[in-house]
Amino acid sequence: MEGSLRPSARRSEERRCEACARPLWRGDTLTELADRAEFRARLEEALAFGRPAPLQPAPQELAVLLIDLDRFKGVNDNLGHAAGDALLRHVGVRLRSALRDADLAARLGGDEFAVLLEGLAGQEAVSRIAARLVDLLGRPYLIDGCIAHVGASIGIAFARPGSEAELVLRRADLALYKAKSDGRGRFHFFEQELEEAAEARRALEFDLRAALALGQFELFYQPQVDLAENCLAGFEALIRWRHPQRGLVPPDRFVPLAEELGLMDEIGEWVLREACTEAMRWPDALTVAVNVAVPQFASGTLVKKVATALSVSGLPSSRLELEVTESVLLSESRSAIGQLAALKALGVQVSLDDFGTGYSSFTQLRSFPFDRVKIDRAFADDPAVVRAIAALGTNLGMRTTVEGVETAEQMERVRGEGCTEAQGFLLSRPVPATEVAELIARLGERLAGIEEEARK
Amino acid sequence: MRKAPLCRLVYVSRSALSGSAAENEREVMQILNASRRNNTRDGITGALLFSEDCFAQVLEGSRAAVEKVFERIQIDERHRGTVVLACDPAPAREFGEWAMAYVGREAAREAHYAQFTRENRAAIASQEVLGLLRGAIARTSAA
Ligand SMILES: Cc1cc2nc3c(=O)[nH]c(=O)nc-3n(C[C@H](O)[C@H](O)[C@H](O)COP(=O)(O)O)c2cc1C
Repeated sequence: MEGSLRPSARRSEERRCEACARPLWRGDTLTELADRAEFRARLEEALAFGRPAPLQPAPQELAVLLIDLDRFKGVNDNLGHAAGDALLRHVGVRLRSALRDADLAARLGGDEFAVLLEGLAGQEAVSRIAARLVDLLGRPYLIDGCIAHVGASIGIAFARPGSEAELVLRRADLALYKAKSDGRGRFHFFEQELEEAAEARRALEFDLRAALALGQFELFYQPQVDLAENCLAGFEALIRWRHPQRGLVPPDRFVPLAEELGLMDEIGEWVLREACTEAMRWPDALTVAVNVAVPQFASGTLVKKVATALSVSGLPSSRLELEVTESVLLSESRSAIGQLAALKALGVQVSLDDFGTGYSSFTQLRSFPFDRVKIDRAFADDPAVVRAIAALGTNLGMRTTVEGVETAEQMERVRGEGCTEAQGFLLSRPVPATEVAELIARLGERLAGIEEEARK
Repeated sequence: MRKAPLCRLVYVSRSALSGSAAENEREVMQILNASRRNNTRDGITGALLFSEDCFAQVLEGSRAAVEKVFERIQIDERHRGTVVLACDPAPAREFGEWAMAYVGREAAREAHYAQFTRENRAAIASQEVLGLLRGAIARTSAA
């Protein structure tokens, strides 16, 4: 096994190398596998030469496996770089032990490896090798007296001679991405849908990057009702993306992507300004609630942006409410809490959104003097949970809003359970800014109707 | 000359041998032969247990030697699901006379993979394995 770290030289190789005058072997000094350039060169050769006809009548398929180690960073962080290097060397040996002499194994860099298999019959044979590699590389490593565990994810693409190396690698990479997103520690073959999904994502990304500049974002507003007074308290501003071809794109389809692309800070700033400006058109008593995402805290400029939005629009700070989820508290909680405190000092209200869906720990409720806690829609029908959170809120001096209220009975019940506000389709779906005035005008009547209905 | 600090490793693994009892026994004998040959060369001593469904092994030697042989054993297809129960410095060899002592299924009826790999009891399980191996070897030597 150890004698075969380097693939045996092939008959044709020396000849070819004399002709093209490239070094015989470009290796990764750490693992003694091929390096990225060597892998690339050998892949290109394999694709170009297609093996001359007399010996092999049908051009052979070849398979490229891209391998990423899972949790390798943890080894480097916990055991040190020397241990990380030792582990990579073990990986190299384990890789080779599962391959034939003629197969090419390479370390592309960091914890990325690649294998080139030629002359293997089809998906089944390659599956067997991939499964073996996932198993082998996932077995424990003993390094400097410590046990290290890493896993391996593998993406596989087939190619025929004549294909572009670039394309094969991209396909294997898409398959690798899929193996990872399916949960790591597994292999996945390239399939056409992956390319289509990647293409769709690229297009979405492209459009999303331009959306702000093209003015394609809109805010919709959903009413929040004061349950004690049975009157409108304000609106939550909800972002929508109206694309000329895609139509109205729901937030769950673009907000996570916008966060990933680092666009959320800028989009969030626009939302703040827009919501404040819009709220100035409403009766004085009404508040506007704006969601603030984790990335907006990262830049450290949120407080300034909120202050600017208030001063530019002229909205009194007491009419603005900022909704944060507990992920904000979890992310870099010290700096986030500092920023929340500064926002509160501006006179802005701060509420904890989606309570009940995540950790929802008492510690988080106590970590900051929130003005309000919003109970996630998932619990609108769970009297015990609603009552408990409402009681907790009352005791901590926080108001409580139930989201997702859909029926008159539900609304009556959460009122009885001690919640102070309600929001949901019963009152209204989110509506565009142009319909807010009309909604305000008819909401009183609607509330009276709901009360009557519940009494029946 | 042998002053490199000693290290002792105890692990259990799930057997991947799928033949008849006699075939498996033969396979294990081959493992033992290779082990004894290599371990003598590498200054490794220890004991190997093979039961119904599992292997359990103690390896003693310099840390470098133990790591080297463990890595080789690790990628052997005849077992999987290795759980390392202990890997510690040791004051002296427990199995100094054995390039690889062997405890077969008769002496190891109570040994099961699931029992050794229950959560949060690696330290206890490693003592159990050591005890089992010591006991069985003492019995066979006395007989
Ligand atoms: C459970 C188990 C225990 C093993 N123990 C040892 C050992 O102590 N020493 C050893 O050299 N090989 C051991 N092996 C065998 C190695 O995996 C490998 O087959 C052997 O070292 C190869 O030796 P060779 O190259 O001399 O044939 C063990 C294998 C298994 C499955």
